[in-house]
Formats: sequence, structure tokens, C-alpha cells
Amino acid sequence: MKYRMLCCLVSMIVLFPLSVCAEDGAPIVEKAFEYMRGETSVAVVEMTIQRPDFTRTMVMKSWTKGKTDALFFIESPPRDAGNGTLKKGRDMWIFNPKVNRTIKLPPSMMSQAWMGSDFSNDDLSKTDSLVEDFTHTISNVREENGLKIYDLASIPHEGAAVVWGKLELTIREDGVLLREAFFDEDNQLVKEMITREIANLGGRLFPRVWIMKKAGETERFTQITYKELAFDEALPPNLFSLSSLKTKRR
Amino acid sequence: MFTQLAWRNIWRNPRRTAIILTAIFIGVFSMIIFAAFSRGMADGMVDNAIDNLVGHIKVQHPDYRSDPDISHRLPDPNAITAELKSLLPTGAKITPRIRVEGVVANARETAGVEIVGIHPGMEMGVSFIGDAPMDGRLIEDGDKNGIVMGAALADRFQTEVGKKLVLTTQQADGETGSRAFRIRGIYRSEIEATEKAYVFISYTAAEQLMGEKNCATEIAVTLPKEYRNGRLAPLVQKCRDALEPYHVSVNGWKDLMPAISAYLAMFDAFLYIWFVVVFIAMGFGIVNTVLMAVYERMREFGLLKAIGMRPSWIVRMVLGESFFLLAAGCAAGTICGMAVTYYYGHAGIDLGAFAQGVKMWGMSRVIFPAIEIGDVVAANAVVVVLGLVVSIYPAVKAARFTPVETMRQN
Repeated sequence: MKYRMLCCLVSMIVLFPLSVCAEDGAPIVEKAFEYMRGETSVAVVEMTIQRPDFTRTMVMKSWTKGKTDALFFIESPPRDAGNGTLKKGRDMWIFNPKVNRTIKLPPSMMSQAWMGSDFSNDDLSKTDSLVEDFTHTISNVREENGLKIYDLASIPHEGAAVVWGKLELTIREDGVLLREAFFDEDNQLVKEMITREIANLGGRLFPRVWIMKKAGETERFTQITYKELAFDEALPPNLFSLSSLKTKRR
Repeated sequence: MFTQLAWRNIWRNPRRTAIILTAIFIGVFSMIIFAAFSRGMADGMVDNAIDNLVGHIKVQHPDYRSDPDISHRLPDPNAITAELKSLLPTGAKITPRIRVEGVVANARETAGVEIVGIHPGMEMGVSFIGDAPMDGRLIEDGDKNGIVMGAALADRFQTEVGKKLVLTTQQADGETGSRAFRIRGIYRSEIEATEKAYVFISYTAAEQLMGEKNCATEIAVTLPKEYRNGRLAPLVQKCRDALEPYHVSVNGWKDLMPAISAYLAMFDAFLYIWFVVVFIAMGFGIVNTVLMAVYERMREFGLLKAIGMRPSWIVRMVLGESFFLLAAGCAAGTICGMAVTYYYGHAGIDLGAFAQGVKMWGMSRVIFPAIEIGDVVAANAVVVVLGLVVSIYPAVKAARFTPVETMRQN
């Protein structure tokens, strides 16, 4: 009997760290998601598209609400000013002031680049898929500056409409997303997003710089830098609607 | 008497006769071979096109062809299928399909494709996918997440059997729907464009993807051989009348593929132009030979005239000579041409060496030349009739010689 208890104890001690490793990471992801987006957010960001032969920078204003709704407008350069994107649920519309028209993005355009950047329309439209379509497991935990950093391996549910074979997420204990890597089914890296310069933005610690890069590329990437950010502000009702996309509400 | 004279005359100069016989032989032979080859090519093309999810008769929503959208699906496909079954001859195969445009994606690539929801068991002998060569296997009825894609597309996607693909398309209610599928098989087709154009999922899976039960966009019919050409139009009309209450469009393959039918019509015209061109080349040879034969025998004609032969008899004799030449040449050419096409009609001519170019035109890689009696008759008729017509000139020349003139020549 004693022997048995000892066995039990030993196995508990031995297995405990393992069971931590295989722990479900969903709460961490959910927390991070809420932390990074807030209930609502208003931001001004600068997006730099880096290519071997040119660099393009634009300034955008964005509003987000909940997991799914978002609205973006380009503010500069003047040439592109007024171009807008509205996302509601998983549908997206774009607005071009030159033709004064809103277009609902058809499925065929969802995987194309968003405004010429390394982000695809899908990256934007399926943000909530990260929470809903994946099984997250913690693969590694380390500590840095007194904060735990979780590495998560996220495998899409069988049957989920996700093209990736696996995602790797690195999330800090407080919910700051540090890295998101996209792998194909052969476990080859396809693209990777990393965040840097964690600073106090909008009343919470938030990475100021986001870089999205395709695997194997050094000269092409897209960098997003937050200029202003505010969370949980009251947004006007009906902000996320086609009419505000058209009238370019600020 | 004229025939006998003519027959003997042509063998007086065997070498010349042999040369002109060869010319006629080659002409007729090439006409028949060319006709059979192009018929074979056209047949192959039509078969390929019909195999390519067209079928002999197709029932669709009237607006589907101009705007292939799920909102233009068939009303009550089951009732239409039942109706068709009662109308069509036994042996006709009827299969409903769901066809919509969509996007297929994996982690690296995205492509616009046509998503086709099929009853795999019913496609056998109806469209190419039923018995296409395949890595892996064809999806089964009711397979909820199986997909079959073309080899060319799989190459582009760097994917293989067992891997995942995500299909996205507009659902029946207008929303965007997407689902994940596993590749069950990778098919190969004669035409690369086909491999890139279609992905196949089961009818059930397509219903789920569209979010709508029984949303067939078309019902395709494959007919037994004897109904495919001449007897097609009345059959189509019969179906059209019977399906009137459903407000659907019913079309035969000639209407479904106007480009192909126009091409076939052009083919006929082109063939006869070719016959005439070959004949013109040959015609000069015939005129020349007969004229030579006539001038050589000027003295003889003078003599015949002098002893009382009528000019019309001379014409008949000379024409008789060319007729023998033409008939013999045509007979030899036809027999050889038919023999060669008969052989290749079974063995097939493999155009593998030019596969790249051939594929572009939607033709088969292996062509089975097909003899059409009409073409053979036309080729022979062109040669014999026109041959005789051109021989009238030397014949009349011969008839015009006067005895005195001919005496003076020598």
C-alpha cells in the first residue's frame, strides 16, 4: 500500500511538468485575443510595404469591435486617401472613393494581398478563426523579465476551413502576442508575423511594430507601426456599416 | 470500238501512262487520307468536348449559361430527372451535377476553379472523370470531405493525395461558404486545361458546401450511339416540350458548344476546298499529258479523219483514254487510301511527339482516322468529273485537226 502511494506520488511528480506541457492553450489564446483587440479599439497605424525596388508607406485609421468587426481608412498618401475596408463577420467590403463604389470581396479575392501588403484579405477576415478553428497546446513555457512566455502549437480542427497545417503562437503571460507563424501541412514555414517594441499604448502594454514576412524572403515584408491606439472607447452606433464605409466617417 | 481503241492507245506509251496514273493515285490517296485524318481529329475533338462534362443533352436553368451562379439552379431536379427517364430511350444515362465557380486554396497557392459536385457512380461512361486515370481513387457517393483534383493543379499546389484543400464559394443564400476537404485522388486528363479547371466533390458534399439540399445546376444526359447525331434534334425537342412547365433550357451538344459545331461546318468546307486544290495541281498534269499524247499522234488523227472518222468520235476516244487513266488511278488510290485508314483507324495515330501543341487545340493525343463514305465519293467524283472536263480541251483540239494540216506538219 505504501509502495503504491509512493508510486503514485513519484509518477505525479514526474508527470506533472509533462501534463503542463500538454495543457490546453485555448484560454491563453482567448485572453491574448481579447487583450490585443479590447472590446473596441481605435488606432492610427503606419503601414510600410517593403519591396526590393520600392517602399510604400501609408497611414491608416482603424476601428475594431469585438472579435469580428473592423473598419479601416487610408489617410495618406493623398493619392490613396479615403480607400476603405469594412469587415463584418467574415465578409469584407472595400470602398474606392475614385469610383465611389463599395465592392464585396468575392471568395476569389480573399487570399489576395490586402492593399498590396503581405497581409492577405483572409488574414484580416478570418481573425476569429484562430480562436474557433484550432486546438491550441502549450509546447513550451519560459520566463523573461518575470513574465511567462508561452509557445503554442495550434492545429486546425479536422474539417475546419483552414489552409494551414499548423500555427505556432508565442504569447506573453499578460496577453501580448509576440509571434505567429504559419505552416503548411508538411510543416514548412509559409509566413511569419512578429511583433516588437512593446510599449505602453492605449493604456496597456502593446507591441508598437508588427512585421509580416513570407518564409525565405529578406527584402520583402510589411511593417505596421502603431502611432496612436486607444481601447474600449465608445464607438458611434452603426459605425461598422456600408454607409459609414461610403461616407468615410471619422 | 472507242473503248477498245482508247484502252489500246493508253498502253502505247506505258511510261507516260504510269506517270500520270501515279499522279492521280497520289492525289486521290492523299485526299482520302487527309479527309479521314481530319474527320478522326474532329471526332476526337467532339468526343473530348462532350466528355468534358457536356454530355449530349443538358438541362439547365435558362440563365445558368450566361451567369453560372448557384442562384440559377434547377427547380426540382428530382422531378426533372424522373421526367427525363420516361422520355429518353433505354440506355441513356442521366446524371445531375452541382457546378459552381469557387476558389481552392492550400497554404501556398490559391486558384479559381469550377467546383463540380457529382454522383461518382453515375459518371462512369458519361464524363471523363468517371474513368479518368487517377492517383489515389475517385470519391465515393456521400463522401463528405473527399475531393479529386487535376494533376496539373496538384503540381502547382505542390500537394498530393491525403493533403488538405479549402474550397470557398458563394452559398445558395448569397453568403460566403468554405469547407475543408482531403484529397482522395488526383486525376489526369488528355487536356491540361481540364486538369486545371475542375475539382470534384461528391454531390452530398456539394450540397453541404452550398448550404442547400438538392441544388443541382444541371442534368446531363449521355445517349446511346445511334441517337447522338441525326436523331438528336427531335429528342431534344421532345424533352423541351415535356419540360416546358419547369421553365428550364434543354439543349443538345451542338447548341451547347457552338464553337465546336461552327468548327465542324468549317471543316467540311475546308475539306472540299482541299480536294479542289489537290485536283488543280493534278489537273494540269492531266491536261499536259493528254495534250502531249494528242500532239504526238497528230498524223494518226489526220489519217483517221481522212478515212472518215467523225470529229465527235475522236473526242469520245480521247475522253475515253482519260477516263481509263482517271478510273484506274482513282481505284488504286481509293483502295490504298481505305486500306491505310482502316489500319490506322484501329491502331490510331499517336501524336505524342506534338502533344504540347495538340493539347492546346483540345484534340486527342491519339487520333483514329475515320472514313466517311461521302468523303470518298466526293474525292473520286471531283477527280473523275473534273478530270474529264479538263480533258475536253485536248480532245477538241484533236478533233479539229484536218488531214491536210497534219500531213503538212511532218
